[in-house]
Amino acid sequence: MRALLIALLFMTAPALAEEGLTSGLSQDYLQITSTFAGSELTVFGDIENPTGTDPRDIVVVVRGPDTLMTVRRKDRIAGLWINNARAKMWLPAYYFVTATRPLNDIAEADTLARYELGLYDLRAEILASDGDERPYIASLVRAQKRAGLYIQTDSGVEMQSATLFRVHVPIPAAVPRGSYTVEVYLFRGGDVVAAQSTPFYVDQAGLERRVFEFAHTRPLTYGVFTVLMAVALGWASMFLFRNRA
Amino acid sequence: MEIYLPIAQMSVQWPVVLGLGFAIGFLSGVFGVGGGFLLTPLLIFYGIPPGVAVATTANQIAGVTFSGVLVHWKRQTVDFKMGGVMVASGLVGSAAGVWLFAVLRRMGQAEFAVSASYVLLLGWVGAIMLQESLRTWRARQDGTSPTGKRVGQHNWVHGLPFKMRFRQSRLYISVIPPVVLGFVVGILSAVLGVGGAFLSVPAMIYILRMPTNVVVGTSMFQVLFVTASTTILHAADNYTVDTLLALILVIGGVFGVQYGVRAGAKLRGEQLRFLMAILVLVVALGLLWQLVVRPADVYSLTAGTP
Repeated sequence: MRALLIALLFMTAPALAEEGLTSGLSQDYLQITSTFAGSELTVFGDIENPTGTDPRDIVVVVRGPDTLMTVRRKDRIAGLWINNARAKMWLPAYYFVTATRPLNDIAEADTLARYELGLYDLRAEILASDGDERPYIASLVRAQKRAGLYIQTDSGVEMQSATLFRVHVPIPAAVPRGSYTVEVYLFRGGDVVAAQSTPFYVDQAGLERRVFEFAHTRPLTYGVFTVLMAVALGWASMFLFRNRA
Repeated sequence: MEIYLPIAQMSVQWPVVLGLGFAIGFLSGVFGVGGGFLLTPLLIFYGIPPGVAVATTANQIAGVTFSGVLVHWKRQTVDFKMGGVMVASGLVGSAAGVWLFAVLRRMGQAEFAVSASYVLLLGWVGAIMLQESLRTWRARQDGTSPTGKRVGQHNWVHGLPFKMRFRQSRLYISVIPPVVLGFVVGILSAVLGVGGAFLSVPAMIYILRMPTNVVVGTSMFQVLFVTASTTILHAADNYTVDTLLALILVIGGVFGVQYGVRAGAKLRGEQLRFLMAILVLVVALGLLWQLVVRPADVYSLTAGTP
């Protein structure tokens, strides 16, 4: 639905109005390395052919790969807290949204919901749920916010001139690898008049990536290898300490 | 000083992990136990996912145990026949345990099963050690010697069928008790990430009536193979073995063992066991506390794995 809306805007925007958007990213490929402690992506852009003097707003959304998430609820059973209910749903592993001012001032709630702008407008595809799914989604959003994986700020879009804008997107260390998209929306009078979507990739680099790939593509060989490595280290330590003693 | 663990998919302070490996190695050097039953809960406390903690601890034990097996082999204090029987049933137990763990994980009960088992196990082992060390301590102060073990006496084990001769242990007993013991230790290894020596050593002494001089070597021989098999099966079925985490833990562990052995020689046995019992009971109470007290968030999130 959202993808369709963006595609429609791509096709119709030039015909409807002269106003448009160009935007770019500081990097289209982000690598997680062994000393990775989070990074930053810069989204920049320009409003093309602005007409009139109506207030314009820019909303920037970054979405990570959709992931199957399981939320479990603990209940007190015989004095112990035990997982007793669950819901399974698809939601992005990472989500960032910011704008030139608070989202509620930019557009009506149903417009925001249509484009999934805002943490509580994310639409989850529910696979299974014990009871009402809403408390599960709310707790998921809370947990992701705590982990720095879901971020919503009011005015992260810096206007550098009347038409030039820039956004700093924090990418925490815990982001999963995969394909991400940056969506930029131009709002005027409470409606989207232009939008642009750009992909970028997050990957594990160097040794970490090779270990991960090894563990998942040839798990049996990987298991044998890690045992041999541990055993070889234990053996080597014997010689080390015998020479010292 | 952060390092990214590729399988746990999180960053850790590597000096903390190295120190943890050293501390556990030190304790196992002092007390002569593998230390898996302390390492797994401590890794979970540190924030490592329980699945990764269990599988990686098994790997660490395999590494640290190997040199011990070589030493006992040279001294000819390994009963390979008894060890072989226990390894064979241990491998089956470890496969069953890895399967059980995967089922529990799908049900969302793996974490609870691991914590609850640890509370029971550590509480039990800790209480026995505390009682025994206090009794010996008091006996020493009174000047009396503690009651000796009844070696060579017959018990119910000798009534069982399928007898086999174990030359090294000078035993002619049924294979059923070693098979059952090996199987149980295999399951414990896979579900809890322990070597199981705390269970197999007393069982070999008191139930199988093996001579004490071959017990430790034979137990280490079995622990080596069962933890190796557990590691490989967890890697193949659950993708939960983190090589980098294991590497840091093994390096810390092998150094810790050496210093632990030297420190252990300076302390008296029952004092050591008293300290160890207190430590074990504290960890058990810590885990119990987490199960009983209302969690900060009753909802928890697992991403990725179904």
